[in-house]
Amino acid sequence: LDIARREKEKGFAAETAEVLRRWQDPASLAAVQGTPVNCLVVSWAAGLPADASQQQALKPLIDKGREAGLGFVGLIEGEANQPAALAAAQSAGLSAVAMEGNPPGGAGVPVIPWSKSAQARSAATSPILGISDGLWPGLPQAAAATGGPTNLPWVDSNGAVLLIARALAPDKTVWVGFDPPQQQAALAAEAYVLAVADPASHGARWVISLDDALRADLSAKKQPAADTWKKLIDTAAFFEQHRQARTYQPSGLLAVMSNFAGPDWDAGEEAINLLPRIRQPFRVIARSRAAGASFTGLQAIYYVDQEPPDAGLRKKLVAFANGGGTLFTPSKWPNPEGKPAPAEPYLLFSMRAVGKGRLAVCKEDRPDAYDTVADIQNIMSHRNDLLRLYNAPSANFLYETSAQGGQGVIHLLNYSRRPGSDGPLFYVKEPHKSARLVSPEIASPAELKWAPQEAGGAELSLPRLSVYGAIELEK
Amino acid sequence: MKQDLTRRELLAGAGVLLVRPAWSRAAAAPTARVAVARCKTYGPELVPAMEKMFDQLGGLGGLVKGKTVAVKINLIGVRWQRLGNALMEDTFWTNPQVIGATVRLLGKAGARRIRVVEGPWSTTESLQEVMYSMNWKPQDILSAASNVEFENTNYLGTGKKYSRFMVPGGGLIYPGYDLNHSYEDCDVFVSLAKMKEHAATGITLSMKNVYGTTPITIYGQDAGVDEPSLRPHGGRGGVFHFANRLPSKSAPQQKDMSLPKDAGFRLPRIIAELNSARPVHLAIIDGVKTATGCETNYGSPSRPQAAVNPGVLIAGTNCVATDAVAMSVMGFNPMADRGTPPFATSDSMLRLAEDLGVGVRDLSRNEVVGTPIKEVVFDYTAVREKLLAAQKKV
Repeated sequence: LDIARREKEKGFAAETAEVLRRWQDPASLAAVQGTPVNCLVVSWAAGLPADASQQQALKPLIDKGREAGLGFVGLIEGEANQPAALAAAQSAGLSAVAMEGNPPGGAGVPVIPWSKSAQARSAATSPILGISDGLWPGLPQAAAATGGPTNLPWVDSNGAVLLIARALAPDKTVWVGFDPPQQQAALAAEAYVLAVADPASHGARWVISLDDALRADLSAKKQPAADTWKKLIDTAAFFEQHRQARTYQPSGLLAVMSNFAGPDWDAGEEAINLLPRIRQPFRVIARSRAAGASFTGLQAIYYVDQEPPDAGLRKKLVAFANGGGTLFTPSKWPNPEGKPAPAEPYLLFSMRAVGKGRLAVCKEDRPDAYDTVADIQNIMSHRNDLLRLYNAPSANFLYETSAQGGQGVIHLLNYSRRPGSDGPLFYVKEPHKSARLVSPEIASPAELKWAPQEAGGAELSLPRLSVYGAIELEK
Repeated sequence: MKQDLTRRELLAGAGVLLVRPAWSRAAAAPTARVAVARCKTYGPELVPAMEKMFDQLGGLGGLVKGKTVAVKINLIGVRWQRLGNALMEDTFWTNPQVIGATVRLLGKAGARRIRVVEGPWSTTESLQEVMYSMNWKPQDILSAASNVEFENTNYLGTGKKYSRFMVPGGGLIYPGYDLNHSYEDCDVFVSLAKMKEHAATGITLSMKNVYGTTPITIYGQDAGVDEPSLRPHGGRGGVFHFANRLPSKSAPQQKDMSLPKDAGFRLPRIIAELNSARPVHLAIIDGVKTATGCETNYGSPSRPQAAVNPGVLIAGTNCVATDAVAMSVMGFNPMADRGTPPFATSDSMLRLAEDLGVGVRDLSRNEVVGTPIKEVVFDYTAVREKLLAAQKKV
């Protein structure tokens, strides 16, 4: 099926078709033996009469894989005769199929919703939520040398959509699909390490997809390809070893609240994309779950949606402000609570005093996303920063803590995929008992030394990292 | 200190220079006294060292008593990029202890109001916020004297309009500049700089510090085309370094668009113009702890960087003379020009400012007091050679 699809692409070579044919040979399963890979995703024909031969072609691979204990998921894309495709999947012994849209009732085989990020929802019964439009992570090739208004280079990360998916469906495992850029030479191993680490550090799993050159070289048993594959698998194994961190939740003084749907998707997603670039740790709260969400430990909430909250949620949000928090709202916030308070004229928000806290109502209907998060950070003030990151311009970090707050982890992802001239440096406001660096790039965990700062807090100095490291914190 | 002029008197004086030819302005450039002090740390020795320097200059009272003083500090570059683990204040930024000591001594000398000013990189954040983000305690500076304020001058700030400063004699590249109101509101303008090298202009001292007065809303990469933008985004490189865009049309425009688009040509002229248009009354250079190589974390194999501790402070009533002394302290010849370090690829901003009548760089024509220069020389070239040799070994 892949060959049939790819043949329609410009420049698709006969050699590549041959590599793809070899790739579905049962012998290729040797590559995943003894690795954390426990499920293979295969392109599954759409159930049309012409597809029967394609499904038959996969049979030897599926049979051999199932014998080896592997699960198979059939990915159905494009227009499909769903009942026929599902029936074929069931008879072929697939563990599940992944498909866009609503599956027909009584499918007979589990269906994983496989949707674009803006449409990903948790309503389906599947324990897995699939996102089909992930980004190949890294520095965008066209803009690698340029900086944004922060003068930090822009990075392509799946972090925002994955954190949103987790907030919308906290009880589900999130899968994300994205393909490597196709180029003449195989991608560097670090590109694959980042492709694994970017979703994994955000609590999700990448549906591994290799570039044609790497597949060809692996089939030809070339050593550099084997080394790249080993690094990829070692990285996946690393995250399996540290799966405890998947139970942690993003932590910060700011929460971004939205339904993350329809016209509000862009503003919510872009805020969550930008906050790591301005080094602001944050939580994500799905509006549908806000009634049951705890606001403990928050200093501010950014309510994104143009539609005002229902009376119950508004009461809860205003109570948060009354208690000393700052509530940021869009311009559509009828009859704002409190009294006007002085504010710098350039700010996007007009400020109101509400009890012990503040209500910040946006002055513009469609504010610039960067200016919005910059002003939120400015109004919150750096004096309360929990963490600061220095010397890692192409890196993002994600701070997560355990339910009781005793343990934490700071994931550090370097999207340039090469170490900087100086090692990253973290400022940590709260005292901790220990800090330990773990990374697929170092042989064993390393205790980090706290450097207390005269004005309070302490700094942790990390070695230079190519792609990923995490600081495990214990209070 | 002999200066006891109001801002208006000073600007009126500058107007006299306007009608003179360049050679005449250079000949008439004022000489000045410059004080040098050894100071190894930002600890208890700092305030006495600074106080002694100001006394050697004739005391601050005559200059600032009853006056509004603007103190331009240096918080250059992206604050998240440090030189290794070294703090920004120990490498690229004016140290907060030096800022606090300056404010304290200005207050003690009778300054009526002190406004600490700077245009930190691409942000509308207040200077307090920038300082918090570096784990500083801005309240220590605010409480060092009465009536101390901060203003981020990268945009309109608390002003209603920008203030225009014309370059006496018409300027070399720009005839004038529009700046934040704070630079007009003050009777006395202090440039409180760091002693550093600079990738494009060779050195960055009290004169180059004034370059940072230009608002990003007018001179930044994303400045408004017709009018200043509301918020500062981006750096000044597009307008000033390379002339690949114009400042907002509301501001004075480049006189001749055929001028070279080379930062080594443009920046020294722009710096000289700014120092001529907005004269510095007191130049102070923090060379206690600093960095070699570049003004911020722009190092490269050919420009290796190191955090260093020259342990020196320099102050004077003229920015050209003060920078000339600082150049000598750094092991450079203040009479050097393009082709000779530190001006390997740029024109000398000191010579250009001298041509505009701002001050005199020849040390023999200025008076240097306090610790003799030879006792505090910190040879930047020697440091660079050592770092390059170490790199080669690696």
